[in-house]
Amino acid sequence: MKKTLCLFKPILTVMLMLAAGTSLLAQTIVTGVVTGSDTKETLPGVNIIVKGTNKGVITDIDGNYSIELQAGENFLQFSYTGYKMTEVNVGTNTIVNVELQVISELLDEIVVIGYGTVRKSDLTGAVSSLKSDEISKITSINPEQSLQGKVTGVQVSSNSGAPGSGVTVRVRGVGTINNSSPIYVVDGMILDDISFLNSADILSMEVLKDASATAIYGSRGANGVILVQTKTADLKQTKTQFNFSAEYGIQQLAKKIDLLDGRQFAIISNEIRPGSFNNVDAVPNTDWQDLVFRTAPMQNIQLSISGATEKTNFYIGLGAYNQDGIIPQSFYQRLSIKLNNSYMVNDRVKIGNNFTITPFKQRNAPNVTYQVYRAQPVLEPYYEDGSFGVVYNVGNPLADLAYSNDYRSGVRGVGNLFAEATIAKDFLFRSSYGIDASFNKSKRFTPAYTIHNPDGTASQQQNLFSDLAKSSSDNFSWLWENTLTYDKQFNEHTINAVGGYTMQKIRSESLSLAGQNLIRDGEDFWYIEPPYIIDESNNINMLQSIFNGVDFNQYYNMISYLFRVNYTYDNRYIATITFRRDGSSKFSSENRYANFPSFALGWNLINEDFMKGIGQLTNLKVRASWGKIGNDKMLYHDRFALVQSDLFAIFSNPDAPFPAATYIKTGNPDLKWETTTQTDIGLEIGFFNNRLTGEFDYYNRQTDDILVELSTPGHLGNGQGARVRYNAAAVLNRGFEFNLQWREKVGDFNYSIGLLGTTIHNEVLNIGGNSGVDSVLVSGYLGNGIPVTLTRVGKPVGAFYGYVTDGIFQSQDELNAYPHMSQAGIGDLRFVDVNEDGRLDGDDRTYIGSPVPDFIFGLNVNLGYKNFDFAIDIQGQTGNKIFNGKDVVRPDPYNFEARVWDRWTGPGTSNEEPRPSFGGYNYTPSDKFILDGSFIRLRNVILGYTLPERISQRLSISNIRVYLKATNVFTLTKYTGYSPEIGSYDVLSNNIDNGIYPISAVYAFGINVSF
Amino acid sequence: MKSNTLITILIITLLGLSSCEKFLEVNPQGDLTQEVFPTTSSDALLATNAVYTTLRNWHYHSGGFPILDIMSDDARKGSNPNDALNTVGPYNTFTINTTQDGLDRWWAALYQGIKRANVVIEKVPEINMDEQQQTRYIAEARFLRGLYYFDLVRAWGGVPIVKSTDPELKIPRATVDEVYLLIEEDLVFASENLPTKGSYGANDLGRATQGAAKALLAKMYLFKKDFANAEKFALEVIQSGQYDLESNFSDANGKNGEHGLESVFEIGAMEIESALGDQYANTQGVRGTPNRGWGFNRPSLDLRYSFEEGDPRKDLTIIDLGEEIDGILILGDGTTPDETYDEDGNLIEVECYNQKVWIPGTSTDTQFGHNRRLIRFADVLLMAAEALNENEKPGEALVHLNRVRARARQGNPAILPDISETNQTTLREIILRERRHELALEGHRFWDLVRTGYAAQFLGPHGFITGKHELLPIPQNEIDISQGVLTQNPNWP
Repeated sequence: MKKTLCLFKPILTVMLMLAAGTSLLAQTIVTGVVTGSDTKETLPGVNIIVKGTNKGVITDIDGNYSIELQAGENFLQFSYTGYKMTEVNVGTNTIVNVELQVISELLDEIVVIGYGTVRKSDLTGAVSSLKSDEISKITSINPEQSLQGKVTGVQVSSNSGAPGSGVTVRVRGVGTINNSSPIYVVDGMILDDISFLNSADILSMEVLKDASATAIYGSRGANGVILVQTKTADLKQTKTQFNFSAEYGIQQLAKKIDLLDGRQFAIISNEIRPGSFNNVDAVPNTDWQDLVFRTAPMQNIQLSISGATEKTNFYIGLGAYNQDGIIPQSFYQRLSIKLNNSYMVNDRVKIGNNFTITPFKQRNAPNVTYQVYRAQPVLEPYYEDGSFGVVYNVGNPLADLAYSNDYRSGVRGVGNLFAEATIAKDFLFRSSYGIDASFNKSKRFTPAYTIHNPDGTASQQQNLFSDLAKSSSDNFSWLWENTLTYDKQFNEHTINAVGGYTMQKIRSESLSLAGQNLIRDGEDFWYIEPPYIIDESNNINMLQSIFNGVDFNQYYNMISYLFRVNYTYDNRYIATITFRRDGSSKFSSENRYANFPSFALGWNLINEDFMKGIGQLTNLKVRASWGKIGNDKMLYHDRFALVQSDLFAIFSNPDAPFPAATYIKTGNPDLKWETTTQTDIGLEIGFFNNRLTGEFDYYNRQTDDILVELSTPGHLGNGQGARVRYNAAAVLNRGFEFNLQWREKVGDFNYSIGLLGTTIHNEVLNIGGNSGVDSVLVSGYLGNGIPVTLTRVGKPVGAFYGYVTDGIFQSQDELNAYPHMSQAGIGDLRFVDVNEDGRLDGDDRTYIGSPVPDFIFGLNVNLGYKNFDFAIDIQGQTGNKIFNGKDVVRPDPYNFEARVWDRWTGPGTSNEEPRPSFGGYNYTPSDKFILDGSFIRLRNVILGYTLPERISQRLSISNIRVYLKATNVFTLTKYTGYSPEIGSYDVLSNNIDNGIYPISAVYAFGINVSF
Repeated sequence: MKSNTLITILIITLLGLSSCEKFLEVNPQGDLTQEVFPTTSSDALLATNAVYTTLRNWHYHSGGFPILDIMSDDARKGSNPNDALNTVGPYNTFTINTTQDGLDRWWAALYQGIKRANVVIEKVPEINMDEQQQTRYIAEARFLRGLYYFDLVRAWGGVPIVKSTDPELKIPRATVDEVYLLIEEDLVFASENLPTKGSYGANDLGRATQGAAKALLAKMYLFKKDFANAEKFALEVIQSGQYDLESNFSDANGKNGEHGLESVFEIGAMEIESALGDQYANTQGVRGTPNRGWGFNRPSLDLRYSFEEGDPRKDLTIIDLGEEIDGILILGDGTTPDETYDEDGNLIEVECYNQKVWIPGTSTDTQFGHNRRLIRFADVLLMAAEALNENEKPGEALVHLNRVRARARQGNPAILPDISETNQTTLREIILRERRHELALEGHRFWDLVRTGYAAQFLGPHGFITGKHELLPIPQNEIDISQGVLTQNPNWP
């Protein structure tokens, strides 16, 4: 019964609110004229709102307005872009004329924060904003990519260049050894990713970084919160506005990896295995990179229509995104539909909706970059008869591409319905019910095929039976949020308070199965029904595999209570207190609820009398915050102790299986949230009428109770190597952020320059030390199963470890003089006996680099001259290392990177590159394969031209702009791979290049039209 | 304003009602939690069966590799010279350390079996079900728990005692006597409550029996040097009429004798390279051609030469190259030298394999189907002989000893004459030697030498140090995890 009540409550609440709005009260009419302090002329389109309500009007073309006031409604708020928001106590007056003071737009910028907004000057938290024109600069399915190099404290890395692939976002370092991604809040819906959103529909993104800003999201805020506001029409926007834009781009491989050519490979092969090639000048020279990578087009077209009538406003957005991959057989197509509407039921009640529906289709290429890197250049891609040539050891990548059919498609719908009501003076109640529903399916089919050796026999690259794998998953969650906002200004006091109650239910389920030997290869037959095969052991296989399960990160319910009060005294002193209490089904009843408080103070020094008239200083503010926030993105499944039921005992004669079931391993019912404690101290300055602004932050965030899998004692009976998750590790991130902006307008010329940077110190403070069970976490497994990262106390998360090299053994004497492994010979790498025990063994592996950058930065320049606009965005990072995993795994003879050409061939010939070998000793993970991942990248260059008004007006169009754009065209880096940006969700296996799909350079032109 | 106030109150009341605690109770999907298992009679059977599954866990067999034979004078490491040289090799020369490969696997597997037994022992009594069945299930579990602890106490001495499904994270070691007391209680309960082998249905062949419990009790008392009880229980098994010797020695361990007359307790396994099979035999199976396995546990020259003149058991224990078994020609492994010599030119090893795990076939799959005999009747007869001799009844002892020799003789009067020795010490050594020849490579020899005090004499030349190598070192990671609550065995670092 109670459950039913839970479900119906949103509906009941909305009904009650609508009822509230229908009551009628006594009213008066106030009229007046609004002028500007600079021009002394009337201002049309000024927004006037009855304070504490949604009721509002705008001034007409002559600056006149007229508004009805109910009894008790005394304050009017006048706002207009570029002018200070002004509040007037109407009292008994019926005519109120107002002069608005012009201001620097920056200072009174409204910043969106969780469950509300705040004036920038009243903000006590660390929040970075990005507006729509910056967001739409980047053509990507991942809107968060536009944050890269534009806001401090945020690192964004592409996981892969494959169309449709995601990005990894880190806010202020790597907060935990588990999922360290931020959450996204799109128009109030709390989500894990926003790849369904069309950038053109986004009004703004705000990154909440410190505890004061994120604590309102409680158990989910620890890794940062990215608030996304989508576009709506302004109530005053009575003319229907059309915006159309189209962009066409060409993508190509930004950089090739420098590999040995055929002749070089043959020569080196002969040195390793004499006699491999008789005539090194007559071997083929196949450039596999040229054969596989192609130039591919991408298109992005969007149309939005928005407008308003007296009571309603609407925004309709349509977007079509189509990207082909630079590896054949890959593409991503997405359609996005956006509907944001609202309706004033009466003066006190507003209802509305925000909806996004995004169908997509995607084709994935097999990961042939590995093969391209490895394939010997002395092999021909095709035989003379046109069939695929054998590529020993790795397979012919062109054949893999030709036989690959890997599709994914789906649809996601995210949105909410909301109602807002002024339920009493200064009190606004809002209730919203949102859903996030998605359905995805995939199918992968490989026909039966065989690549033959030159002698006609079958090579290893073959698929004896056609096979088909299919999967589908569905996700559904709803979030019901109720908040009550109190907004009050009297004398020098400004109070804004919000309290709320929310419920959320999240479900995700998947089903996959695979079969073999379909009767035909065509797509019409990609169904798993009749096929069965008889394998070598005479077993009949009908299905290869069946999996049906739930995603245990996406199967839980939550109930939360939230509260925040923001108090400002005389525009000088600000205090914010935030509190959230979260209850989650992820945790057992003892640990179900947790509290997340934060406190912050701010001081606008610029408004102090003693600061008046100090030089060119136009803004000076200091702020400090402290708070605790949580991370609940973790595998909570270990709290349950489960029963294993796929066991069999063998009895009887002849032997026969009898089912058995028993306890698997002990659970940990004490599991709880990971908790981050963050301190932030910020300074904001402005000079020269805020033409120069600066924002500086120091942050210190320590995450405790990080979930870590620890070995359990054998006597618990969990079996050998069993691990159970405990809240036992701790990680520290601290650093500085700075953001300097200069903007100026000189005649027809205007320009702005932004420079921003973030330092990151990442350090593991504890790994299960209190349990004494483990002191290290080994991860970063390469393709051959060898781990290359070791996370331990005092070092960054996912730090690389391996042998330290010190040159090359030049002679037998040198070999004899140093401890070495038995495989080492003259001309081989010399590893350092790090622990100085006179032996060279696994204990000599040590820390050889961090995957976490210690500095990330961006430089952004915008120039405007008359009708031309020009923008350059540069971003980069330093201090992070990359492990060149693709080079290390060499079980068979593969091609080499070009540096091998400068190999050791005798004493004194090289002290860097050892004698060549097809693998083995010299390819033991060592600092030889640690490469500097620092880079400076020219992310974007845009040149635009807006057609003169006389031309566009002749076409009855208000604005036409055309532009050229180049993305990722230039990167300054020492890294030898395709791209030094290697994103990975798994923080323990980060920045390991195992052969990722390269990120492409894009050259595009586009047009924006509005009318 | 009245209606407004009313509505405000209504909304706040509604929100206040929202203590939907049920809403925050979400069960795991597709998985049963331990709180609700076992709760029915069919659950009880499933849980009981699960206690047996540990027996087919590769780790259960002394961590995977047959180190008990490799540590004895019966076998060397086996496989090719480099295979597992540093992991298994050191067991042959008593040069292992506290982190040696396999120690933690064996330890963990035995405790996993104990946990599975504890599930039955702790939870099945709470189930409302047929009492006879209930008691049998508990008795089966207690037999297996005793079996697992018996390995623990012999390998490591006093170990942490766990009798609950939810033990403390840190438990210090119990004394050897405390562990034996637990084993004794379990096995006595089992022997009093388990059915005899003959009273089980056909589908239950392989379950723990009264005979198995008594045989294991007899063995335990031998280790405790309680020879009166050893004699009592061994004789009860012999007199039960449930068991006899196979007429062919090879059937005692082979395919034909599975669950046969001589089998007192064996581990059922199917001929599948999967969780239904048992990798125990695959680990020791012929390496190379035919490819039956990895070829560990190579019979030593010492064992080969120790057999009495003409003892047919030598050929039935050792697979030599060129031999044909069940019509299959054994060619052996290309990476293994046929003969190995030491630095002085002495022959120290010939390529050969353990025939006790042989099962007809040419694939690795089939090799997984060998049913390991944990207790067979010949062992019980020799235990009886040993106990009777210690109890100064040499005449009775000789009856059982000669029964084993008579079967081995296979009707050939020229070999393996009956023993008539009655001097206690001499007869003790004769019985020990008979155990070696009858039970070679079945995992008995090392512990037989240790418990009878002959280890130094036979194993000293291999590196055995008295006062140290009777026990294995506690796995170092267990000591580390316990933060020092577990203490190491004497003379181990």
